Amino acid sequence: MTGVLVIEDDDRIRLSLVLALQDEGYTVRGTATAEEGILEQRRHPAETVLVDLMLPGVDGYECIRELRRTDGVPIVVVSARDDTHDIVAALEAGADDYLVKPVAIKELSARLRALRRRSRATLAPVPALTFGELEVVPEAGEVRLRGQPVPVTRTEFRLLCELAHHAGRVLSRQQLLERVWDYAVGDERLVDVHVGRLRQKIEVDSAAPRYLVTVRGLGYRLQR
Amino acid sequence: MNRAGLRTRVTVGFAAGALLLSTTMALVSYQITRSSLLEDRERNAVRAAYLEAAVIRTRLGTDRPDVGETLRSLDTGQTRRTVLRRNGIWYARNADAGITEAIPQALQDVVAGGRPAKQRVRAEGQPAVVVGVPLSRSTAFYHIDYLKELDHTLRVLGLVLTLVAIITAAAGAGLGWYATRYTLRPIRSVADAAREITNGDLTARLDAAAEPDLAQLTSSFNDMVDQLSRRIERDRRFAADVSHELRSPLQTLAAAASVLTRHRDDLDERTRTAAGLVADEVARFQQLVNDLLELARSDQPADRRAVDVSRLVRQVCRSRHLPESLLEPGGEREQPWVVDRRRIEQVLGNLLDNASAHGGGPSAVRLGRVDGRYYIEVDDEGPGVRADQQQVIFDRFVRGGTAGARGDGGGTGLGLAIVAQHAAAHGGHVEVRDRPGGGARFRVELPEVAG
Repeated sequence: MTGVLVIEDDDRIRLSLVLALQDEGYTVRGTATAEEGILEQRRHPAETVLVDLMLPGVDGYECIRELRRTDGVPIVVVSARDDTHDIVAALEAGADDYLVKPVAIKELSARLRALRRRSRATLAPVPALTFGELEVVPEAGEVRLRGQPVPVTRTEFRLLCELAHHAGRVLSRQQLLERVWDYAVGDERLVDVHVGRLRQKIEVDSAAPRYLVTVRGLGYRLQR
Repeated sequence: MNRAGLRTRVTVGFAAGALLLSTTMALVSYQITRSSLLEDRERNAVRAAYLEAAVIRTRLGTDRPDVGETLRSLDTGQTRRTVLRRNGIWYARNADAGITEAIPQALQDVVAGGRPAKQRVRAEGQPAVVVGVPLSRSTAFYHIDYLKELDHTLRVLGLVLTLVAIITAAAGAGLGWYATRYTLRPIRSVADAAREITNGDLTARLDAAAEPDLAQLTSSFNDMVDQLSRRIERDRRFAADVSHELRSPLQTLAAAASVLTRHRDDLDERTRTAAGLVADEVARFQQLVNDLLELARSDQPADRRAVDVSRLVRQVCRSRHLPESLLEPGGEREQPWVVDRRRIEQVLGNLLDNASAHGGGPSAVRLGRVDGRYYIEVDDEGPGVRADQQQVIFDRFVRGGTAGARGDGGGTGLGLAIVAQHAAAHGGHVEVRDRPGGGARFRVELPEVAG
C-alpha cells in the first residue's frame, strides 16, 4: 500500500498535487475538507496523510488531532504559513513533518519516501530497555510506563528508540534528524517539538524531565 | 552623557542661585547691622563728649584750673580717652600720652574754627571715633571712643554670614541634585521603555499613574508605541498574506510543472521547449518569493545555537553537487560555532551559488576564528569584482557583471543581499576582496558568542 491522502481545500492545488504524486508512483486520493478527510482515512487508511492548515470548518490543527486520536499514521503538513508559531503548533498537534508551500515535488517525494522507509524499516534488534518505570520494547513497538502501554506515534517511537539505544549519551538535533527522520538537512524544531510531545506522555513533570533531558547547546539524552 | 550633563548643569545652577541669594542677603544684613551699630556708638560718643565738655567747661571756668586733674576726674573707662588742647598745648591723662597723633589735622582745624565735629579714625591700630567739641576760642576738647569691641562683633557677624552663605549654596547644590534625580526619573523610564521596544518588546509601555505630572509625555509615548506596533503588526500580516497568496498558486504551478517535466518526452518539440521554460521560470519564481520573504523577515534576531559548521559546509556542498574537498583543511577541526544554523546554511549556499553563477565556480571554502570573530571565506575562479562594485553587489537586485550572467536565468539578484542581512543579524558583516592570484574572495565575519 503506497496510498497518500491529500486534505487540501484549494481545488487547483489538490488536483495538481494528486497528478504530480501519481506521477511519482503513489496511489493518491484527495478531499477538500477535514471532515471528509477524517472519514476517508477511517474507511480506507492511507499510508501517509498530507494536510493543509487553513481548511474551511474543522481546521488543519484539529484535523491532525482527530487523526492522531485513532491512528499513528505519518502526517505531513503542507502549508503556506511559515511562522514558527504555526509550525510548532502543528507539530505539537501531532504532525510528523512540516513543509512550507511551494514545495518542489522532488522534495515532497523524498520526504514521503523517507517516512515510508521509517515506518517499514525493521529496527535494530534491541532487547527491551528499562529506565526506572519506563519500558521501551522495540520488537513489540510498544512503550510502557508503570506497566501501562503509552500511545506514541511512529516518529515518537523511533525517536525514543534512538535515544534508548544510546542511553546515557547525548545525541545532537542534527544526529536525531538524520537517524530518526532520515533527513540530511532539516528543521531542528521538528526534534524539539517531538521531544516535547514525548515528555508529555512519559514524564511526570514535563518541565522537569526525569528521563528525556536537554543538554544545553548539545542535544538530548535519555537518562538511565 | 547628556543626562549627566543636564544633571550637573541643574545642580550647578541651583548652587549658583543659592549662593547669589545668600550672599546678597548676607551683605545687606551685614551693611544694615554695621551702620546701625556704628551710628549707635557714634551717637553715644557724641552725647558723652558733650556731657564731658560741659563738665570741663565748668571746671575750667574756675580760677587757676588744673587741666590734668580735670581730665583725670572724668570716668572714661577702658574704651574711651579724652584730651584737651588749650592755647596750642595738649593736655591728657598720663596714660593717654601719644593719643593726640590720632586726631586728624582737618578735624582740629574745624574744631578750632568753633564748630564741633566727629570723624572715624584708626588710633593705635584700632578703629575709633573722634568727637571734637570747642570749649572756647583757645580750648578744644576731644573725646576718642575705641570701637574694638564693635569691630570684633562685626567680624564675627561677617564670618557667620559667610558661613551661612556657603552652607546655603551647598544646600542648593544638594537640592538641585536631589530634584534632578526625581525630575529625570521619568525620563529614564522613557529611555528604558524605548530600549525595550528597540530590542523587540512591543508590549513595553509607560505607567501613566506613576508620574501624573508627565501624563502628556506618557500618553504621547504610549500612543506612539501603539501606532508603531500596529504598523509593525499590519506589515507583518501583509507580508504573511502576500506570502500566502503567492505561495498557494506557486504550489499549483510547481506541481503542474513537475507533471509537465515528467511527461516531456510525450510532447512535441515546441511544446517541450515551452514546458521547459515554464518549469524553469516556476523554479526561479519560487526562489524569488522565498528570497523576498527572507528579506522581509529582516527584523528577526539570529537564533544562535551550537552548529558543527564544517559538517554544514560539507552538507551544503553535497546538496549542490560540489566536491566536499572545497573546504580547506583546518576548517575540519573547527569547534562548534554558536550561530543561526538556518541563516548560515543560506549564507554558505548563496555564496557558493554566486561563485558558480558569476565567478566561474568556487575554488575554496575556509572557516576559522580570529580576534573573537568567526569567519567564512569563499574563493572563486572568476574575474573578481571591480572596486566600484564591491559595495553595491550586496544591494538588492544587483546582478554580477559577468557577460551573459543574466542569460542563465538562475539568480534572483537577492542572494548576496540575504548574505549581508544574515551577517548583520549576527552583528557581523560581509565584504568582497580580490583573491591573490585572481578571482574574488567573499569574507563573512561574525562576532563569536559563548555557547
